[in-house]
Amino acid sequence: MFERVLIANRGEIALRIIRACKDLGVKTVAVYSSADEDAMHVQLADDAICIGPPAATDSYLKIPNIISAAEITDADAIHPGYGFLAENAHFAEICSSCNIKFIGPSPENIRMMGDKNTARSTMRKAKVPITPGSDGVLTSEDEVLKCARDMGYPVIIKASAGGGGKGMRVAHNDASVIKAYNTAMAEAERAFGNADVYMEKYVESARHIEVQIMADEHGNVVHLGERDCSIQRRHQKLLEEAPSPLLKNDVRKKMGDAAVKAAKGIKYSNAGTVEFLYDESTEKFYFMEMNTRIQVEHPVTEEVTGFDLIKEQLCVASGEKLSFTQKEVNTTGHSIEFRINAEDPSRDFAPAPGLVKWVNFPGGIGVRTDSCVYSGYKITPYYDSMVAKLIVRGRDRNEAIARLKRALEEFIVDGPPTTVPLGQALMNDHQFIVGEYNTAYLEKFMNERF
Amino acid sequence: MEFKDLKKILDQMVASELSELEIEDKGFRLSAKRGGGGEPQYLVSPQPMPAALPASSPAPAATPPAEAGGTAGGDSDDGFDAIVAPVVGTFYRSPSPESDPFVKVGDQVDEDTVVCIVEAMKVMNEIKAERKGVIRKALVDNGDPIEYGQPLFAIDPN
Repeated sequence: MFERVLIANRGEIALRIIRACKDLGVKTVAVYSSADEDAMHVQLADDAICIGPPAATDSYLKIPNIISAAEITDADAIHPGYGFLAENAHFAEICSSCNIKFIGPSPENIRMMGDKNTARSTMRKAKVPITPGSDGVLTSEDEVLKCARDMGYPVIIKASAGGGGKGMRVAHNDASVIKAYNTAMAEAERAFGNADVYMEKYVESARHIEVQIMADEHGNVVHLGERDCSIQRRHQKLLEEAPSPLLKNDVRKKMGDAAVKAAKGIKYSNAGTVEFLYDESTEKFYFMEMNTRIQVEHPVTEEVTGFDLIKEQLCVASGEKLSFTQKEVNTTGHSIEFRINAEDPSRDFAPAPGLVKWVNFPGGIGVRTDSCVYSGYKITPYYDSMVAKLIVRGRDRNEAIARLKRALEEFIVDGPPTTVPLGQALMNDHQFIVGEYNTAYLEKFMNERF
Repeated sequence: MEFKDLKKILDQMVASELSELEIEDKGFRLSAKRGGGGEPQYLVSPQPMPAALPASSPAPAATPPAEAGGTAGGDSDDGFDAIVAPVVGTFYRSPSPESDPFVKVGDQVDEDTVVCIVEAMKVMNEIKAERKGVIRKALVDNGDPIEYGQPLFAIDPN
């Protein structure tokens, strides 16, 4: 096991990683920008190094300062968390060349899954079902028309280097598909410096269901079940649950096996998530993309399986075999995570950073709050506006919903406005309660209610 | 106008219990008002200041933020300015173990004088004084680990 791990991140995930390290007896090094001097992760780590001014590009993304911090503190491994440098293959390579273990998959894994088009063709070769789509990058308007007609409308044109909902355009007919093609390319060029686009069949009543996998460096891969993340607004997740309320067991098993096959196919190691698009009307699922990092919503999987995923990441990265087999993975009960952000519902949920004069976190059986916020803490405008992840578990979905409803009532913030009222409204909404929602649900709900 | 001059002006404003102050000088204008909390709120135009001033927050810190990096100084304990580290790494006082230190206490330096090396990832970053002054004290020892914004030398500007 590592002696000392540097956490190349901040906020709640930095705290989460520090907790797992402490549980394993591993020393911790926090890095922080000058805006994060009072952050909890800085106070709880064994060592803390200031690595730059507030701007992320000059601090949390500043590779030389982070590696230097690891060198002067003698850290033997770096955990990148999520976001920032977590899926930066170049950073992973630099760690390796400096003899610092990058806690995550190999640079090749990151690269392969980072390019969406390459990821699709890799999965196609591994015989993992993918959304029907173009064979590769679209190279001419004629090809665009032929592809769309072969597939059948509606179609979506996506950027190969894409993410965050940019460089995507839906088209419903011949008339709009060429325009969609050209607009998507222009947006992709602007946002990612790469105009490559490809086409997929657009599944309208879709659910976003992802499978957590964990692999060691000895070829063992297991899946830990799925999470339903269909509750999204502008491609940002707000609520996630495990298991998915509507998935049938046979489909569940097929998806889990497909995710394991995908990971084995690319010789993956450490934690990863395979995202699928699930078409309720046909009960078919399609590979969308793979995230080569630990995810924000990993706690819901922890709550229904009982495994500490961050600890497992540390163990696997230090060369140990997976501490459980597929047979030993059993999901029991139901878990829901609601992301509480400092956002103003009266201003279209614009980020509203500021001083949290006083905060009370909920408690009781089956209630977990992952947060770096404390009374007197100032949420700065430089990073995300997350206040806390509120995670509940229950023996079944109804019990989990009741607990989340009650926990939201206890979640009191004297400071910036938060999305707590939105969570409460969701818990009282019939469609959510019966579990019949898809990726279009949240935006419609928010437009109607807020 | 340097940051330390601004700080002197504002400190004086608090000490004299002035509630409003306006200064205009050579294309520079300072307007400062003291809010209910007793801390001055200030707007500075037109040149950007070396340290970022939080114009919208009600109680800006009187201490200079570390994001000024190596250009504006932090304050060392003795009330002098400090040359601070713009990178993370290991501090070296001399170009090599056998050579003399770059600077000694009492040395006059100017903007381009190299005062030390901070080594990061095998790259020897030469740190310049970035202002004229006399070195008063070395605040760290040879071989010490250095973080961003850490004061390295106390300097008496002139």
